Amino acid sequence: MMPARLLVLLGCALVAAQPARAQDSQFEIPGLGTPGRWESARARMTAGAFAPFDPTSMVSDAALADIGALTASVVEGATYREVEAGGTQTWLRSTRYPQFSVGGPVSHRLVVGGGYSTYLDMSYDVTTRDSTVLRGVTQPYTDAIASDGGVTDLRLAAGYRVGSRLALGLGFHVLTGSTRMSAMRRFDDTTAYLTVDQTSLVRYSGLGVSGGALLSVTPALSLAAFARSDGPLSAYVADTLVRRSNLPITAGGAVRWLLGAKARLAGSVTWRSWSRTGPNAFDTVNWSAGLELGETRPLRLGVRGGQLPFGAGPSAPTEWGAVLGTGRVVAGGRGLVDLGLERLSRSSGAVQEVAWTLIVGLTVRP
Amino acid sequence: MTRARRLVAIGVAVLAACNEDLAAPGVCPQYCPSGTLSVIDTVLRTAISRDSAYGRPFGYQSPWTASLLLGATLPGRDSRPILRTGSIAPNVPVSTDTTSGTIVGVDSVELGLWITARNTRTRNLSIALYRLPIAIDSTTTFAALSQPFTDSLIRVVYVDSLIALPGNKNSITHDSVAVDTSGRFHLFLHFDSAQAPYVLADSGKLALGIRVQADTLAAVAFGASRLAGYGAAVTWWVKVDSLGAGIAHRVARPTGAPGFDSFVFDPPAPPLDGTLGVGGVPSMRSLLRVTLPRAIRDSSQIARATLEFLPSALPQGLVADSFGIVAQAVGADFGPKSPLDPVHVDTLRVYIGTLAPTDTVRIDVTNILRFWVGDTLVATSLALRQEPEGVDFSEIRFFSSSDSARGPRLHLTYTPVFPFGRP
Repeated sequence: MMPARLLVLLGCALVAAQPARAQDSQFEIPGLGTPGRWESARARMTAGAFAPFDPTSMVSDAALADIGALTASVVEGATYREVEAGGTQTWLRSTRYPQFSVGGPVSHRLVVGGGYSTYLDMSYDVTTRDSTVLRGVTQPYTDAIASDGGVTDLRLAAGYRVGSRLALGLGFHVLTGSTRMSAMRRFDDTTAYLTVDQTSLVRYSGLGVSGGALLSVTPALSLAAFARSDGPLSAYVADTLVRRSNLPITAGGAVRWLLGAKARLAGSVTWRSWSRTGPNAFDTVNWSAGLELGETRPLRLGVRGGQLPFGAGPSAPTEWGAVLGTGRVVAGGRGLVDLGLERLSRSSGAVQEVAWTLIVGLTVRP
Repeated sequence: MTRARRLVAIGVAVLAACNEDLAAPGVCPQYCPSGTLSVIDTVLRTAISRDSAYGRPFGYQSPWTASLLLGATLPGRDSRPILRTGSIAPNVPVSTDTTSGTIVGVDSVELGLWITARNTRTRNLSIALYRLPIAIDSTTTFAALSQPFTDSLIRVVYVDSLIALPGNKNSITHDSVAVDTSGRFHLFLHFDSAQAPYVLADSGKLALGIRVQADTLAAVAFGASRLAGYGAAVTWWVKVDSLGAGIAHRVARPTGAPGFDSFVFDPPAPPLDGTLGVGGVPSMRSLLRVTLPRAIRDSSQIARATLEFLPSALPQGLVADSFGIVAQAVGADFGPKSPLDPVHVDTLRVYIGTLAPTDTVRIDVTNILRFWVGDTLVATSLALRQEPEGVDFSEIRFFSSSDSARGPRLHLTYTPVFPFGRP
């Protein structure tokens, strides 16, 4: 198969798109949702360690300054997730398109870019069994409450290279999206009691700003700093405001070390003040470390850890993951296909989940 | 690309293809959505108002509009079908051209009758046919026909005996009976010229009355002319003057004025009172107007809705028999002339003899209530009627809303709106 045909094959899988969302988690249910990662496929295959330096990721606006040429990038993730809770194990699966970015230089110092990424994923489908006494008779029933959708982050950003060692970036974010929610109760005795099934569309909106800086300390060592502040997220049902939630402030830093021409090492730390969003929420610190070896057919690996922002216990659920991936330059250097496999483990009390995600990325430089 | 690489590429495409299955058992309350579906079960005692019964003395179906003719000779109920055949022309064609001759006599008359419903416990059923005045119509009463039903007997046909004969046919009277696959009896009864004379002044119309008798449960239903294909049919074998060539024998069937059929009964149907009557002959309906609280109608979902009635009297009809009651939404509320919605219908079967005076009769109206909640512009009125109407003397009466203690109630099980989007 020719590289071009491989491109078409992967392109078809990507184009069969669903709304941009990241990975789901049962831990999102008591809170606002599962935070998105804002990482390109390449950065995600290093567990996000390279994301603050990656112009196709949306972590740091300053990284845009190094994009070099008009570039578009899209990510797909197909997740197979095992949830273990209450002594039962359930396999879930989902396909998401968590990020699309495009950017290009408008002058030799200034680069502008945009795109979308998942800010919060709010997809779940929870079924419960219970019973109630109606008209003197105990009636068992099954409830199914589902949410499908999330909040998307539309970004318009600019990166400016102040000098050979310093780049600055600024981004403006529009948070938008919706979830189609449904709540259904099906009684076992369907002849006496009809199933009730309610649906509604919840619409979200909000605004945010971000900024970042990229400093080359030496030709081999770079530092990145980034921060972001988002305004409150408003939720509307039928144009009626039903909820307004504060969103976290994000701050983080990263370091990258070039180990010769064919090896790169990076690490990053991100703090987010999720506790201000409401009950069952915790501030989070997430870290990652990654390594990239090779040029045209690189090997990437990374590990990440930290907390998830929402949980029902006294402390935040924890997350640990590892990822392995590679990439291949195609179409004479105008395309880059990335492929990786990520394993994430999350736990909080009696609830645990393990997710395997097949990550496919496509980057095009026309 | 090698075969192995191609397989890897295909595998990646399959694994990465779009798929979604997020249904998982909930770990409640820790990892369940904060909102839950609540179910409220309540009895609305004042939701029904301005309820009325209609249908007496002129019913939604009356004996002369019903699809069946009820014949019964039971304690407390005597019902007799009456019918008048259509007219026949005085001249009958006697040759292949348009030449016709005048009817001068009758060889015989065959009357076809369908018994469309019969209690399986009816034994030794017989039907007696009487000649009635030709002037019978919808105003004819049971009392007005007492004389001809006393002194104008034509003959008696023993149906069970006829069925027992070889070929279901009596070789002497030429009567016969056929039974179709649904158990309906098609009787062919023959009369001679004395029993069924041709009267020129009556245009060959023949008025007959029927009494049914049996050792047990003498109650049957004959098909009426409104029931296509099952009404009474008459065939005349007449003698015709063939214009000097002697007497010709021809067949003649009614081609002129249509016939008439109905039934008269005693005692007369009780009039309407302050209760909610359903069924009987003439058939009654009751119209109930329901006022749902706005919170329920605008934003809830009905899981179950039941109308609860207390009978003001035990249902009338044959003991151990049953009849159907239909609750039907109206298309628009025009009182007794409200058009009924054929789609939103709920049904109940009432078993006579098993209902105690203090029993509550419950009719499930979930379909109708769901319709009302789904379309808040429709009239929230419903009609109670018997199904089918006008073919059964069974009727039931309930206390109306004017009796605040025993009036109809609406028992609702519903879910208020789910708190979508709320914390």
